[in-house]
Amino acid sequence: MAKVNVQEKIQSENERVAAANRAAFAKAGVLVLNLVSSPGSGKTTLLEGTLDRFPAAGLRALVIEGDVCTARDLERVKAHGGSGVQINTGGGCHLSAQMVSEVLGRLDLAAADVVFIENVGNLICPSTYDLGEDAKVVLLSTAEGDDKPMKYPTIFHESTLAVLNKTDLLPYIAFDIAKVEKEIAVLNPRCEILRVSALRGEGMDAWISWIASRLAAKRQSAKRAG
Amino acid sequence: MHELSICQSMIRLVDGAMKAHEGARLLRIFVDVGRGSTIEPVLLREAFDVMVSGGPYDGVELVVNSIPLAGRCRACGRSFEYQEIALGCPACGSVSVDIESGLELSVRELEIDD
Repeated sequence: MAKVNVQEKIQSENERVAAANRAAFAKAGVLVLNLVSSPGSGKTTLLEGTLDRFPAAGLRALVIEGDVCTARDLERVKAHGGSGVQINTGGGCHLSAQMVSEVLGRLDLAAADVVFIENVGNLICPSTYDLGEDAKVVLLSTAEGDDKPMKYPTIFHESTLAVLNKTDLLPYIAFDIAKVEKEIAVLNPRCEILRVSALRGEGMDAWISWIASRLAAKRQSAKRAG
Repeated sequence: MHELSICQSMIRLVDGAMKAHEGARLLRIFVDVGRGSTIEPVLLREAFDVMVSGGPYDGVELVVNSIPLAGRCRACGRSFEYQEIALGCPACGSVSVDIESGLELSVRELEIDD
């Protein structure tokens, strides 16, 4: 009987591919945001509203849509002037770096400023998979209840920005938004928070500004490095 | 929920490590799983048993070492163990706490019969 020392991360292969994706995105100078939430939080509605506002902000977007089945989200995005690719995971509960890598060749990164990756609706599994993004953006809609950050802490710990969506419902439901913001700060003091109603438009200007400033910061630091 | 995918990656990693030990029989796989890694040890073992059933690793034991979540407070410097990733400092109340361990997900070593 003998011991074989391995000491290797199970995610090392995913991390290697994610690093290659990140390098390809950096070369093209695009900002990449990985949108994560449970199903029905409004990821696609947020994208629709974002695409509507991008031309006025002088920004161009590409979308990678991740879903278990159907290309419905990509069709919705296209109806708002977006372009991109659909990944169907066929039962898989998350996107992996490899899945993103396989569609990169079909995206004209040079013609974009921002790539949105809409992950499969799930608050747990996507937190384990780096896709090569610059930031994870977690969406939580008010309809889901104000106990969710503490119930699904890892994704909030991993995210750079939390979008609290469907604020237009606040007058009608018991959702303590101040408590949620406080709890997110405990889980991750570095996580920024935006209150948004993607459907009604509230907070969308702040969201677009956040994207624009992240893009500017990425390009600025690339310039300094390069 | 993604224990099957993690298990698949783990088996690929083990395959790679076993290449240097051709002819040896794999007996045990020792993995480190942090409490904050979102991977549930029971589900991981179940996924493993299903995936290796009938194959060369049938009967191999997956030994999961569960690693507690630990963090250090940036404000007062003290370290604590946590049940969840809710990292307020229990001593001084600061929310500026760095995770020191508990996010691991790795294959530590293999036991083989050579």
